[in-house]
Amino acid sequence: MPKALEHSATSWKGQALKHNRSILDRLDPRLRLLFTSVFALLVVAANSLGVLLVCLATALTFALLAKLNLRRTLRRVLAMDLFVIFLLFMLPFTTEGTPLFEVAGFVASVEGVQHALFIGLKANSTLLCLLALIGTLSASTLGHALAYLKVPEKLVHLLLFTVRYLDVIGQEYKRMRRAMQARAFVMRANRHTWRAIGYLIGMLLVRSLERSERINNAMKCRGFTGQFYLLDNLRLTRIDYLFAIFSCGYLGALIGAILL
Amino acid sequence: MHIVDGALSGPVLISGAVLAVLGVGIGLKKLDAERLPQVGVLSAAFFVASYIHLPLGFSSVHLILNGLIGLALGWVAFPALLIALLLQAVFFGFGGFSVLGVNTLNIALPAVLVFYLCRRGITAYSDRTAAIWGGIGGGGSVALTTVMVAGSLALSGQAFWAAAQITLIAHIPVILVEAFVTGSAVLLLRKVKPEFLQLSETWQEQRYG
Amino acid sequence: MSLEAHREPSSPLLQAQKLCYRYPRRGVVLDQVDFDLHIGERVALTGANGTGKTTFLHLLVGLKKAKAGQVIAFGKPCVSEADFVCVRSRIGFLFQDPDDQLFCPTVLEDVAFGPLNQGKSRGEALGIAQQTLQDLGMADFADAVTHQLSGGEKRMITLATVLAMQPDILLLDEPSNALDQQARERLLTTLKSLPQAMLIISHDHDFLAQLATRTLVLDAAQLVTRTPVLDSVEIEKKATGLSEPNNIEAVL
Repeated sequence: MPKALEHSATSWKGQALKHNRSILDRLDPRLRLLFTSVFALLVVAANSLGVLLVCLATALTFALLAKLNLRRTLRRVLAMDLFVIFLLFMLPFTTEGTPLFEVAGFVASVEGVQHALFIGLKANSTLLCLLALIGTLSASTLGHALAYLKVPEKLVHLLLFTVRYLDVIGQEYKRMRRAMQARAFVMRANRHTWRAIGYLIGMLLVRSLERSERINNAMKCRGFTGQFYLLDNLRLTRIDYLFAIFSCGYLGALIGAILL
Repeated sequence: MHIVDGALSGPVLISGAVLAVLGVGIGLKKLDAERLPQVGVLSAAFFVASYIHLPLGFSSVHLILNGLIGLALGWVAFPALLIALLLQAVFFGFGGFSVLGVNTLNIALPAVLVFYLCRRGITAYSDRTAAIWGGIGGGGSVALTTVMVAGSLALSGQAFWAAAQITLIAHIPVILVEAFVTGSAVLLLRKVKPEFLQLSETWQEQRYG
Repeated sequence: MSLEAHREPSSPLLQAQKLCYRYPRRGVVLDQVDFDLHIGERVALTGANGTGKTTFLHLLVGLKKAKAGQVIAFGKPCVSEADFVCVRSRIGFLFQDPDDQLFCPTVLEDVAFGPLNQGKSRGEALGIAQQTLQDLGMADFADAVTHQLSGGEKRMITLATVLAMQPDILLLDEPSNALDQQARERLLTTLKSLPQAMLIISHDHDFLAQLATRTLVLDAAQLVTRTPVLDSVEIEKKATGLSEPNNIEAVL
């Protein structure tokens, strides 16, 4: 599993994750960002099972509309968040309260089970919504949308540069790893491996720094003086207004349900 | 090391977010537009490097490298790591949205501390001493991050105390691996490209000239 | 080291049987390719850019996995990663870009990396590294920082990193690329003096003419033996002329 994961994570194609086109792609990125942010905050604040189930249903609907590859998504989340899953399994036993059941002498409480369930619901709702509405944007669109929403421009350009070179450096890393493999290098839990990986990372950074120097020089040759420009104009269309009206109604209702 | 949405309490989330915004603000202030391509390329490199999985016992660990990031970038580690965490959350589903502040703080603050504590050490004359300081930085920052993750959990409720303790214990081998890897990386960077660690030309001439 | 190989001189050291590979967008680059490499041979591999020459080399040592067909190295079929790990210590691979290969701070450490992977102790590995550098006349560079070498020096050092593993075969991916006249001559003389069987990708026809015992052309996903009568210019013309229609066929 880790090996497959390493591969899937570094093979970043273009500037967006591969996904099937869907109706959600027609929505304005700014609206998607705003909706997701408010939604995530409300989900985290929610404190009743009913509301959380509605939230999960909403997020699932978006995931289906976005035609997300749920299996791939799940596999990644599982692999990375084993620690959290472990935590969820521990919670029922470490929370004091009304006993519900017993495993090997450890008592699980009703409150603990509920707490764990809530965390699970909240995490999955926000995650699905995030992946469906924002994960399907290309990273550069995300950057531009953030800039429109008054995120500091330096941060946005940092994001754009990072994404721009993710693939280039990912490829460079793969070539170096292959060259090591060709010299019969196998990763093990020993000092030889750790030293080699430390050198590999160091050399990757050296090459990245030198690349950035070349980029900088090339930019200067084209008259760059420290000012960046974002060239695009996002325009709201009819479907955006519909989505905005729906969002206001839906999120308003959610706030009402949480406050009541 | 990524905490998901929903696990932490409101006060923890809010204080985390506020402190992270402060850190990112300081970082952005110290980052001139000239250096944007450099920091962008480096955070891409760190992003890629953090997917290297090293076998350890029955399972494998992936590197965090925040110590090395701190040594290279100082306060700029805050914005660089925020970007990395945002990309991970949005495109790969690691971590979450409301915890972005806490996660950034937990990983970037140790990086900045390492910058102040270990920078002198890695400019030491002897390669060995420098590598050891690099190791202390690499291991130390992961140790601090672990403590902060455990702390965020523990502050969010008594029910998390056991989990917090286990987190601390489970990360001891990771800390050792990070220390070793970071130490080697520092050794290489000193020899090959001292500018990377912002070591001055006079230092280079004195040491290797 | 290569006892099995010497026992039966007629059997090939390295063999590819009906090897196939395709890229998602580039389409088929290798279509049922057969290939043999025998002791003492130095085979040249040419063909237009992007035909899949490097891919072919990667398949031979298992850095990429073939879609069909198999590789037989030293008489043993290689299937799993573990098989290829053994094979890789006996096949030296010289990458196109020396910078991809050199990743340690100093030359000596980099040359010792291969022997260490082969299970040698630190002392032994350093000894072998020193000896290899000496054999290549590069002993003065042992403590140099790899990243700061010139292109020609980097090339010689990558050759040392590979030779330090005492391989039976060398796979060379455009070794004379971007070398000046002097560095190129030096590499040529060195390669000529080496006993290993070689497979050499290059566009440098003069270089190949002095080194190779036979020439293969990779064109339209097929390996073709080049008839010695044609000169290089004609072959290139022929290759480009053929490549389009055949490529389409191969994709279909």
